[in-house]
Amino acid sequence: MDFRNTNAPAGPLTEAVRPVALEGNGPVTDEALILPAQASAAPLKFKRPWALLADRGAGTVFLVCTLVLVALIFSLLGFLAWRGAGAFVAIPGNTGRILSLREVFLGLDWSPSQDRFGVLPFIFGSFTVVGLSIALAGPLGILTAVFVTRVAPRWMRAVMRQAMDLLVGIPSVVYGIFGLATLLPLLSKGWLDEQPAAGFLASALILTVMIVPTVVSLSIDAFEALPSSLDEGARALGSTTWQSIARVLIPAAWPRLVTAVVLGMGRAIGEAMAIQMVIGNNPQWIGLMRTLTDKTPVLRFLFTPASTLTTELVQELPNTAAHSAWNNVLFALGLLLYLLTMGSILLTRRLSRRRA
Amino acid sequence: MNLKTLALVAATLGATAAQAQTVTVMGSTALGPLVKRAAEMYMKAHPGVQIAISGGGSMTGLNQIAAGNCTIGISDVYATEDQQKTGIQNHDIVIEPFTLVVNPSVSVRNLSGQQAEALFTGSVSNWNQVGGDDMKVIRINRPESSGTRAVQQKTVLNGKPFSSDQLIQDSSGAVMTAATTTKGAIAFVELDFAEKNKGKIEAVSYNGAACSPENVKAGKYPLFSYGHAYTNPAKADAQTQAVAEDFLKFILSASFQDEVVPKAGYMPMALAAKLKTKL
Repeated sequence: MDFRNTNAPAGPLTEAVRPVALEGNGPVTDEALILPAQASAAPLKFKRPWALLADRGAGTVFLVCTLVLVALIFSLLGFLAWRGAGAFVAIPGNTGRILSLREVFLGLDWSPSQDRFGVLPFIFGSFTVVGLSIALAGPLGILTAVFVTRVAPRWMRAVMRQAMDLLVGIPSVVYGIFGLATLLPLLSKGWLDEQPAAGFLASALILTVMIVPTVVSLSIDAFEALPSSLDEGARALGSTTWQSIARVLIPAAWPRLVTAVVLGMGRAIGEAMAIQMVIGNNPQWIGLMRTLTDKTPVLRFLFTPASTLTTELVQELPNTAAHSAWNNVLFALGLLLYLLTMGSILLTRRLSRRRA
Repeated sequence: MNLKTLALVAATLGATAAQAQTVTVMGSTALGPLVKRAAEMYMKAHPGVQIAISGGGSMTGLNQIAAGNCTIGISDVYATEDQQKTGIQNHDIVIEPFTLVVNPSVSVRNLSGQQAEALFTGSVSNWNQVGGDDMKVIRINRPESSGTRAVQQKTVLNGKPFSSDQLIQDSSGAVMTAATTTKGAIAFVELDFAEKNKGKIEAVSYNGAACSPENVKAGKYPLFSYGHAYTNPAKADAQTQAVAEDFLKFILSASFQDEVVPKAGYMPMALAAKLKTKL
């Protein structure tokens, strides 16, 4: 909504800006001080009554926008909680069996058509995929940032940033198709004697490509924020470039680097589409890894078709009868995923506050 | 919810345009194109009628018709018992043929019922156990909530559970992609998908019979299911319900079944008229 009148050039804009700049309780910057000084010729009271109205109206508009957003978030959370609760307590409209928390959250066997609803494989699957991709994307992203900020020529920084922004903008289904059509056959031919390569490794690789831009961008920020005296001091004491980076710069930037990785993790937890296409989506993966003997344990772990919270949700939620036990458990999984994502966001905030 | 709103908007627009009778159809994305074709033809013949079709999947169609949110819910699977209790009525409108397919690396081109069952339940895990080369069997299935998987379990596995050593893909398209690129793969897909991927995939006969209208009619080929259209007479107003039933009658008419249905990858219901198998 635009409450700046196009007939009155610039006037109302400065009027609207000034009180905010003066009243703002944040640090008063030079810019904020200059603004009213430049406009000091204009009287402080509003020239036209509509400007005052617009100013008051603006406040209401902002408030309404915020309230709508907050209401949306909480109604979504409430919806998930309500439908998810149906799995464990009787709610109106429920047609399914009431399950115990124990059989759902401590169960290893997911076979809904045989009335078994253990969701541990999905939880383990999510943590494994996210863990693996963080283990890959963390070092990769941080070291790339080191290279870009400390070793590479200046122009490369801009190029790298552009490239990373491009990667962020690609829809996840494109990553998925790339994984399905290129990565899987490649892994299978190169490593597995043409057996299918779907599983944790392929998913972690795809996820790594998806979250590495976040980690790189934020890590570059982290290194750029360090005072140059750190590097200079280390060098003055006789450090080589590598010693300065490894013993001074990385430890100094560490809290921000952790934040970068946690933010990447937040994206990884919620990703569904791309993983779904390459992971193989097998809910019985835990049992399968135990019984299969045709590969070495490491290969079995990396290349057994598995599944995660998100892949299960995206595949089955639309295809189950509303209010059945199956459907309810899936909603409970959705709630769990929501809480996990929320947890990672809170973690990031905490970490970044500690930094400041 | 979104779909429902969309359908309502479409319905309202239709209704205000010409005071038309509006029938809303929701559900199976597989049956969607066929029903849409029928709707176009029907609306041409009945200018006062609007038929709005939206997707969402079979279970969405069943959920919505059970709740009375649409006039017809189309589905590849039967309604659940709980959904049946809401008084919805089933109309079988078309035969959906399925076929077993294998990656071209597999030399087997015919499977007995027993062999096919053993392949998917896991008691056979190498192609040399069913007359092929020494190669691991890679089973590519749909997710547990999929209608295709339900048909597969009923017809191929005779109700027995699937082997847990399986790859799962979300859609028939993704199953085909995986099956064409994976050595030793076997899958169960709609006939249409097998025909569209000829050359990259090989269809396998079942008990010596290929998937064809003749074999289905003769009762030699049991791997098929029915496309369902559900109505909810208790929750629809009488006039709309009458139009919906007339529309379904049109879909079942000989001209539509014989001319349009085969082109869409389905088979006419008449083929099953003398069959005793009830899927």
